[in-house]
Amino acid sequence: MIRRTLLPTLTAWLLSLASAFAAGDGGHHALPLDAQQLFGPFTNSTIMVWLAVGLIILFCRAATRKMALVPAGFQNFAEWVVESLYDFLGGLLGEHLVKRVFWFFGSVFFFILVNNYMGLIPFVGTIGWNTVDAHGHHGFTPWLRGGNADINMTAAMSLTFAILWFYWAITESGLKAFLAHIFAPKGSFHGIMLLMMVPIFLFVGVLEVISIAIRPVALTFRLFGNIYGGEQTLEALMNLVPKWLAFLPALPFYFMELLVGFVQALVFTLLCAIFLKLICDHGDEAHH
Amino acid sequence: MITLLAATTAEAVTANPGIAETIQKTFGFHGPFFAAQVINFFLVVFVLKKFAFGPIQVMLEQRRIRIAEGEEKLKRIEKQLAESEETTAAAIAKANEDAIRLINEAKEGAHAFSEQKAQEAIAQAQQILAKAEAAAKADRERLSSELKREFGRLVASTTAQVTGKVLTADDQKRINEDALVKVEA
Repeated sequence: MIRRTLLPTLTAWLLSLASAFAAGDGGHHALPLDAQQLFGPFTNSTIMVWLAVGLIILFCRAATRKMALVPAGFQNFAEWVVESLYDFLGGLLGEHLVKRVFWFFGSVFFFILVNNYMGLIPFVGTIGWNTVDAHGHHGFTPWLRGGNADINMTAAMSLTFAILWFYWAITESGLKAFLAHIFAPKGSFHGIMLLMMVPIFLFVGVLEVISIAIRPVALTFRLFGNIYGGEQTLEALMNLVPKWLAFLPALPFYFMELLVGFVQALVFTLLCAIFLKLICDHGDEAHH
Repeated sequence: MITLLAATTAEAVTANPGIAETIQKTFGFHGPFFAAQVINFFLVVFVLKKFAFGPIQVMLEQRRIRIAEGEEKLKRIEKQLAESEETTAAAIAKANEDAIRLINEAKEGAHAFSEQKAQEAIAQAQQILAKAEAAAKADRERLSSELKREFGRLVASTTAQVTGKVLTADDQKRINEDALVKVEA
């Protein structure tokens, strides 16, 4: 029990201390809302994403290099993580659907998780250079920026999900059932009642379309807002006290950010899974 | 988040461009950056699918099949064991029945054999007894005839000496017969 609590405590303390030193020089450096271009189409968050991809590749290679029927070490850990997530999503989506879509949901979860935690590493978002734009506004450009603190990254995941979402929904239940799920009257109506219900459900269908269209946008801004807000909070807290004590106010919030990193990865994955389940449920009924 | 959106809206109202354009500028949403991140994301999906989820799920499936096979084998072995125990019990019961039957047969055989031997012994004993009786009878008859003959001779001799007469064969025979009749009476 002591060892379990010691590790996150030590991690949070070291992170906050290192961040305090990293942010200590040059006054208040607020992380800008947008990712800064470094070269070509690549931004400071792209570099961070590449590092995350590299880390994921290293982990995957280490875990699956020598696969054995009796697992040990990294393989054991990787299998536990993958199997737990698979079973968790399986309970939500059902055996058939999870087999088909796990590759996406698993990737989304691990990618967000790794990016969120990498964004907490000291110097990320705090080391960079000051800039002055054409209007004379002073700014700050960090060398590295958390992957999910860039709206382009969260939008990339959300919109990819949105496309796959429609693809899976249509292939699972068919285009007719998919449209019926949105627009057709629910329940058994006959005669004049049916005629009265049709315009109502058409209107409800339009609302549903708007709701569906908003969901990827909400996913994008939820993840971006939480991660960016977390980084801003840590930085703001470090500026509340003298520089030599800057690590102290941020310390408790590092615990929170460790939790937020995990929770946000889970929330994004879960919401995507629930959206898919909701839209595919009608398909199951149609099959029956 | 709310603050950010409020700030964005305020900026949008001030500058009066479209809201979408304002949001795009404020949050730094750019086509090339977005495309680069999409590519990065697909790279991650590819890597994880190929090097993590694929092999791990194959391994988990292999292990699941192995466990299912093991369970199946275990059930088969348990069934075979039960059948084997049943067969062994049946064989032991049959062996017991055979043994009891053989013992009974042996007992019956022994009984018949001993009966036969006893009968043979009785028969032999009766034969011996009959022979002995016959021999004894023959001996007695022989002795009786010898005794009669000796008695006759003694009677004849005594009669001759007493009477001083030489007895003829007919006399001797008659005297013998009289004497024997008296003795036997």
